[in-house]
Amino acid sequence: MSTLHVLSHSPYGDDRLSSCLRLLGSADAVLLSGDAVYALQPDTVPFSTLQERAIRLFVLIEDAQARAIEIPDWAKAIDYPAFVELSIHHAKVNSWL
Amino acid sequence: MKFAIALFSAAHAPSSRRALLFAQAALAGGHEIVRLFFYQDGVFNASDAVVTPQDEQDLPKQWRAFINEKQLDGVVCIAAALRRGVLNEEEAKRYQREAISLSAPWELSGLGQLHDAVQDADRLICFGGA
Repeated sequence: MSTLHVLSHSPYGDDRLSSCLRLLGSADAVLLSGDAVYALQPDTVPFSTLQERAIRLFVLIEDAQARAIEIPDWAKAIDYPAFVELSIHHAKVNSWL
Repeated sequence: MKFAIALFSAAHAPSSRRALLFAQAALAGGHEIVRLFFYQDGVFNASDAVVTPQDEQDLPKQWRAFINEKQLDGVVCIAAALRRGVLNEEEAKRYQREAISLSAPWELSGLGQLHDAVQDADRLICFGGA
């Protein structure tokens, strides 16, 4: 049973991203939204951590575009219809409020 | 697929807009929303008293239009609303307050309505925080 983890806070303000990665299951996925997309700022610790973990990573495209964050080829940009489908694909959705 | 959507953040928080866009996309994708539940600061999305600056998204207005148009069940947690001064006519009368800031299509009810929606839905999606 897989879980989609939705993050929306900046990785530089708290430990949500690292806590999430610690308990991430093998079938789980992570969706970065809002300020959480700053984790994809190149040459940063969150960026290299995500790259090395090789997790199933999704990014809400309009939040990335609004922050001028380029999406690396190991992450997938999605829109809201795809977000809905992603939430259906996983058994549970856990938002890190 | 049946969705229950819970919103925990105030109208000016970006997560409130994400919740609305998700809800719109869910219906556009042919899915059903069994209930929208507004909890904690999320109750401000239902407040008639919110005045949004002209150059910003008017989320209370957009939620109201969306709920009316799609005939959705928009439930506001009564305890969270009362403590934040978001009162409908009945509660304003009960607590002898002058200001009424919540009206149809919004409905004040208890947390049990969230529990009930989760039982009925295939997925619970929460929005809040940043």
